[in-house]
Amino acid sequence: MTRRGVSHLVPTAEMTLGPFFPREFAEGVNDLAKGAQGEAIEITGRVVELDGRPLDNLVLEIWQADGAGRLDNPDFSGWGRAATDAQGSYRFRTIRPGAIAGRAPHINFLVLYSGLMRQLQTVMFFDSSDDPVLHSVEQARRSRLVAVRINANSYRFDIRLRGGDETPFFDD
Amino acid sequence: MAIRIERRAAATQAQGIEPGYAQTARRWPSQPLVLRPHTPSELSGPQVQRCLPEIRGDLAGYGERRALGQLIRLRVRVADEDGAPLPGTVVEAWHCNAAGKYIHPNDSHDAPVDPNFYGAARLVAGENGLVELRTIKPGAYPVPDTDGWWRPPHVHFSVWGRVWLSRLVTQMFFPGDPLNDADVILNAIRDPEARGRCIARLVPSKTSELIYEYQLVVRGRKASPGLP
Repeated sequence: MTRRGVSHLVPTAEMTLGPFFPREFAEGVNDLAKGAQGEAIEITGRVVELDGRPLDNLVLEIWQADGAGRLDNPDFSGWGRAATDAQGSYRFRTIRPGAIAGRAPHINFLVLYSGLMRQLQTVMFFDSSDDPVLHSVEQARRSRLVAVRINANSYRFDIRLRGGDETPFFDD
Repeated sequence: MAIRIERRAAATQAQGIEPGYAQTARRWPSQPLVLRPHTPSELSGPQVQRCLPEIRGDLAGYGERRALGQLIRLRVRVADEDGAPLPGTVVEAWHCNAAGKYIHPNDSHDAPVDPNFYGAARLVAGENGLVELRTIKPGAYPVPDTDGWWRPPHVHFSVWGRVWLSRLVTQMFFPGDPLNDADVILNAIRDPEARGRCIARLVPSKTSELIYEYQLVVRGRKASPGLP
């Protein structure tokens, strides 16, 4: 297929992660704060499906700016991965992200799992401030994207894939 | 370099729920996905090769440590939608052994473990966007609690492209396998051409390995600043 004289390849179809993502791939990559500049924070949560059943060995990946809102800091990867345990729980340690121009501080989340035919994208915010991505979600559902502050350096962000009060996910 | 992400034709991607795959109806959101604006946060991405080292470029082994099964070599090219190769991109691959058993502790399938096979590799694409994996052909296996659904031989891939929204997790299939025609996951791709591109191509080999070629296309095109 050509467009404007440039070749165009169709993106490969996404498929489910399946139930057997190697455990090894998700080990030792959930601490972004190690050796990084900024305020270390902890994010924990549970991931559940319909009826609140917890999901085991589900993979979450995050992508975020550094403490100053930079997305290209050579000393801070901004990326991490965690797998849930049998209780559906995950944990990240990271740096509190700074605001990027035009955006409130946030952390991008990617959900991969068996039974998910495609990846799901969502975003964690620290408060319900003005943000174009948060505001693309209808008002009644926005609070699901705002993490619960446990203490000054600890936040809880639960993800419900389906069911009442489910997490909003984005289409791109 | 600015990248833009365009919406994909629905028939080239699985939709959320597949009747033949019960868990999809428990996990795919009931509410429609929300369209959002793309900002630098989504249109940039991590340099994951700093976090993820290469692991095991060869899963087949040699001599007394050779894994059981048909020796194969996968030549996989990673490109963006412009067809530009993506050198330096990280590619993770995992698959079951020749008897249809994964190394994962959650795999309860009654098939033997192969002590010489560990089915997980991580590779970094070379200058022309190519990764090569020497391994053995995975077996088929039945999916528990289904009405006779067998997964055809397949290899899982996880790939990063240029930006966060280029992330691709998918599966590659082998040509000519009759199980391909009934696989719920492969046939969730409604467009036959898009589905066909998920099947590797067997190319002539003069070695002891069957050679398959494959292409992974990640989302993203170069933005053209001169155009609206």
